[in-house]
Parts: sequence; structure tokens; C-alpha cells
Amino acid sequence: MTAPSIVVVEDDAALRTLTARALQENGYLVRTASAADEMWEALDALPADLVLLDIMLPGPSGIELCRQLRERSNVAIIFISAKGSEADRVAGLELGADDYLPKPFSTRELLARVRAVLRRGGREVSTGTREEGIRRFDGWTIDLRRRETRSPSGAVVDLTGAEFDLLAVLLDHSQRVIARERLIELSRTRLGDSSDRSIDVLVSRLRRKLSGAGGTAPIITVRGVGYMLNVPVERA
Amino acid sequence: MKRLTRFVRPSFGLLGRIVAILLLTTALEFGVSTLLYERASQFSVRDDEARRLAEHLVIARRLVAESPPDRREAMAEELTTDRYELRWSPELPPPPPISPLLDGMLQQVLEWEPTLRTSDLRLRLSSPGRSSVVSGGLRLPDGSWLYFRTLESLRTINLAWERVLLALIPAIGLIVIGGLLVRQTLLPMRHLARAADRVGRSGPEGAPIAVSEAGPGEVRRVVAAFNSMQARIHRLIEDRTRALAAVGHDLRTPLARLRLRAERVSDDELRETLDSDLAEMEAMIASLLAFLGGEGEPEQPVLIDLAVLTATVADDASDLGHDVTYEGPDHFDCRLRPSGMKRALVNLVENAVHHADTVRIRLKVLDDAVVLSVEDDGPGIPEEDLPLVLEPFVRLDTARKRDTIGFGLGLSIVVRAVEAEGGEFRLSNRPTGGLCAEIRLPLPCTA
Repeated sequence: MTAPSIVVVEDDAALRTLTARALQENGYLVRTASAADEMWEALDALPADLVLLDIMLPGPSGIELCRQLRERSNVAIIFISAKGSEADRVAGLELGADDYLPKPFSTRELLARVRAVLRRGGREVSTGTREEGIRRFDGWTIDLRRRETRSPSGAVVDLTGAEFDLLAVLLDHSQRVIARERLIELSRTRLGDSSDRSIDVLVSRLRRKLSGAGGTAPIITVRGVGYMLNVPVERA
Repeated sequence: MKRLTRFVRPSFGLLGRIVAILLLTTALEFGVSTLLYERASQFSVRDDEARRLAEHLVIARRLVAESPPDRREAMAEELTTDRYELRWSPELPPPPPISPLLDGMLQQVLEWEPTLRTSDLRLRLSSPGRSSVVSGGLRLPDGSWLYFRTLESLRTINLAWERVLLALIPAIGLIVIGGLLVRQTLLPMRHLARAADRVGRSGPEGAPIAVSEAGPGEVRRVVAAFNSMQARIHRLIEDRTRALAAVGHDLRTPLARLRLRAERVSDDELRETLDSDLAEMEAMIASLLAFLGGEGEPEQPVLIDLAVLTATVADDASDLGHDVTYEGPDHFDCRLRPSGMKRALVNLVENAVHHADTVRIRLKVLDDAVVLSVEDDGPGIPEEDLPLVLEPFVRLDTARKRDTIGFGLGLSIVVRAVEAEGGEFRLSNRPTGGLCAEIRLPLPCTA
């Protein structure tokens, strides 16, 4: 399997080089572009799996480029912006971007987002249809791209980053047991030093935050093995 | 300039208006008094009163007229009874100042004694003191005058109170009308005062609203000057805010470079200190931008689970190794601005973990409010400094130690976020030691 190919579109030359190097060192094929025309050249030359797009670009903005990109391909897009505002994030995601990374970011954060988006994107490319990244169970709605969880009452339920990641993994493997070791490994990229205990803490927090009016959240413990989300999950 | 060439509706000055008001009230007063005097002239006494007066006058006239001139004065005095006082004089004394003519009563008298018609009889109502008396005079055949007045106030001429009231009614009416007119004239000033009170307020109510230029010329000029001043101030604030926000945003690109470069530092200790320096700079920029509201559009309220949001703030802090716990219900749905409220809670928790070891966040749902409190076991804040710390850019530990992250905007941001929800924020020292920061949001929270 060939390494995923990423196009980095960033007008700041030094940051562009640093970002590209960080990705290359982690096994990605990286091409760079400083603005719209260079991005189109790069994409015409070779297809890419992911475009890392700065919002504030000279000429057509990242938002505009995102819209144009979406018209012609399903390539995965991650926005990078100096504005941390919710409005920008939502605007980007609404135009079809897959994730949003605020500046300044660390290599760890960058890689986590890239991996997550490519994992989702890989399936999408194979099936040919883009899915919205919406998951539903028991009246709960989880938007993976917006990282937003809504309760059956429609209220936004705020989770920590690690809790959301854990929930995303459980949703991806619904009605299947996930080994604790696998969960610990996944959560390590989020939590600085995740111990065995921290997974249990995360699970108990999730159960509490996802508890319904009468019942408890359908996350069950499989003794000696791991955890399981014990309900069917609807994808959209 | 457009402003100068614009057509301005001519308008009386304040002085002109007040003069006009005075004129109007005076005219009204005049009209009402005339009406009052007119009514008095229609006034009539009982027939027997008129007859008695008529008879007395006829007799007195004859007796005085028949007396020689040097005896006339004495004769008039002799004719004075305890009812009527009579005096003779070569000329008619001037009538007392406030003395309406009594035409109705005169007709009664003349009807009874038609011989008096030739005597140029005149009757007036005068009221020295509180009792009304009738006074008047009649001309003797030789041209001298017999002057008379009733000593007892005539029973039916019980006008005193009525007249006082009648005189008061227009006065009161005039005061009210005058007051209303002056109030109307000064109405634009009140609009202006209200607008001036709004200038510089945070939130949507601080947006400049031009006051309509109405009212007297002086007021119009003040309103116009105020409007342009308000616009200038608003532009100034906006420019500064935008400039600061732009600096904040632009700093994030070099910070991103610095962060990626710092990761390549092989010296672990150096890399860690660089990381924490960078984290501090990021936190400062984030708090500055939050304070300026420079992160884009104002946030809209949405339905959120406030209990989970609060628990998540506690969980985030405890994931960073702090002893922060949440106490309260598992779920509480509420409509508010989630980012603002979360930032407020995070700021309170960050303050608390900075000064204390153990932090407890409580959520209590009361009948009319939901109360979020962040309690710590730290040293608290000296009572006299409590109001001070809510001001922007105030840091109590400036002199002692400078290890707080940020600009001292944390609590100002909390105050704003809570105000945006129509709530109250209060800081107090706990009786058992430590600080208690309390956010009280009114219920139902539909802000």
C-alpha cells in the first residue's frame, strides 16, 4: 500500500516547510502550494488523499478553494486557521471540509487529525460516496466532523477530547467488543500519559454523560476483555 | 459638506418656545378670568335683599339730596345702619381693584325702584377679607355721589370659596399645561440622555443608535453633535479592537512555526520550557481575543446540557493533573451561549487551581435560578481587593509573583459572559477559607 499523499496549502513559507517536514517524517508523501494556482497544479499533476488548507490565503480564500474543491472531488480537506472561532469552524465544515485545526498546532495534534480524517476518508473513496459523519443511537446524534454530541432532547452535550475520541471508536465498532489494550493505545494520542486506569475513568465518565432519563448509557464492560457499545448505530 | 447643505426644518429656540408657552398661558388666564367676571355680573341676590337695598337707597338718596351740602356728610353717617354704611363725597371713589360689576343684582334693584334709574347706580362685588360685600354708588341730582357698601356679607353672596376655587382651577390647569408643554419641548434631551447612557456598553445594547434630530434648535445642535461624537467613539473602539484582534491572529502563524521548531529541540529540559512559554503565549492571545470579542460573530444561545458542560470542565482540569471535582445533577438542559459559558468556567477553574490544591465545582438548580459555584481551599482574596479583581488587566499578584498566565483578563471575561446571559457573578471568601466564585443564571435561561 502506497503512503497517503497530502497537499499542504499555506502562504507562510516557513510554516509550510515545517508542516510538510513534520508530515514527511511520519511517512506521508507531501507536496506544497503557496496559493490557489499552485494547489490546482499540484492536484492536476497527481491525485491526493488529503488537502491541508490555510483559510487566509492571498487571492481566493481557503473557504472559496474548499467550495471549488468539493465541486470536483471527494478529496479529504482539513482547514488550518489562525481564527479559533466557532463560526469559522462551522463555515468550513459546512462547505465540506472534514476537520479543522486551529493555529498554532503541534505535530501530535496535526498527525492525530490527519490520521483520523484519512481513516474515515479511506472508506469513503472506496465506496465512492461521501458520508456526513453522523452517527445515531438511542436518540443520540454524534457529528464526527463537528465533534458534537446531542442528547435525545436536542441539547449539546460537551465531552472532553479524549471522551469524544473514545466514543468515536466505540461507535465505529458498535456491537463488537473492543479490547482494553486497543482503547488504551488509541487514547494515548490524546491523553499525555494514559494509564490503564484512565480508560476506565473515561468509560465511567462517558456512561454518566450519556445516561438517559431512566437508563444508563449502553456501554457495557466485558470482563477481562474490554468494552462494547451494545446498541445498533445508524450511519449517515 | 453634506451635513451643512442638508435642509434643516426651522425651529424656534428654547427661549422662543418658553416665551410662546408663557404667551399661551397668559392668554388662557385672561380668557378664564374674563369668563369668571362675566359670571359674577350675572350673579343675583335674593329678592328681599335687593328690595331692602333698593328701599334704603331711595330713602338715603332723598334725605341726603335734601340736606344742605355741609350737612350731607353727617347725614350720610346718620343713615349708616349696622347693615349699610353710607358716605357722601363730591366724586365717586375709585372701585376696589378686584370687583366685578354685579349687573344681575343691579337689574333686580332697578326693577324694584325704577326711580333709581336716573341716578347712575352702579354695584360691584368686592371682597376685602374673606366675606363678599356689595359696594356701589349713585349720583345725586347735583352731581355729587353717595357711596355705600353692605357691612354684613350678604347671605347669598357667599362667593368667597367658590371664587378662590374658580381662580385656582385655571391656575392649576395652567401649571399642568405649561409643565406638559415644557416637558414635550425637552423630550429630545431625554432621548439624548438615554443614548448617552448606552455609549460604550458591552454587548448588543452598546451598538450606536443615532438619536433623531428633533426639538428646539439648541437641542438639535446638541443631538447632532452627540450623534457624530458617538459615531467617532464607536469607530475608534472598533478600529482599536480590530487592530488588536488582527495582531492576535497574526501572531498565531509565527507561534505555529515556533511550536513546530521547538519540537525539534533535542534538549528535553529546554524543549519543555519552550513548550510552556509557547503555551503561555497562546493562552494570552486566546484570552485577549476572547476579551475583545475578536473571534468573529457574537455567539448565539443554543440548547446545551449545562451539567455535562460543567462536569467536562472539571474533567479536563483533572486530566491535567489537578484535583477538580464536579458535584451536581448528571444532566441539566439550558439555553445559553456554550463557548462563552465554558470559557468563563475554565477561567474560574484555572484561577482556582493556580492558587489552591482542591477545587470543587457545584451546580445547584433552584426555583428561579441555576447557581454554578467554583470553590477552592486556597488563600482567598483580601476583602478590599474583591471588587478590584473584576476589572480588566488587574492582577493581584503582580508585585509578589508573576507566574499567572494571561493579562489579568480572566475574571473580566467571566463577568462579560455572565452578563450576556443576564446572570450575576459574585466573588466571596468562604468562611472556612478559600475563594468562592458564584455564577447565578436566571431560570428559565432563554437568553
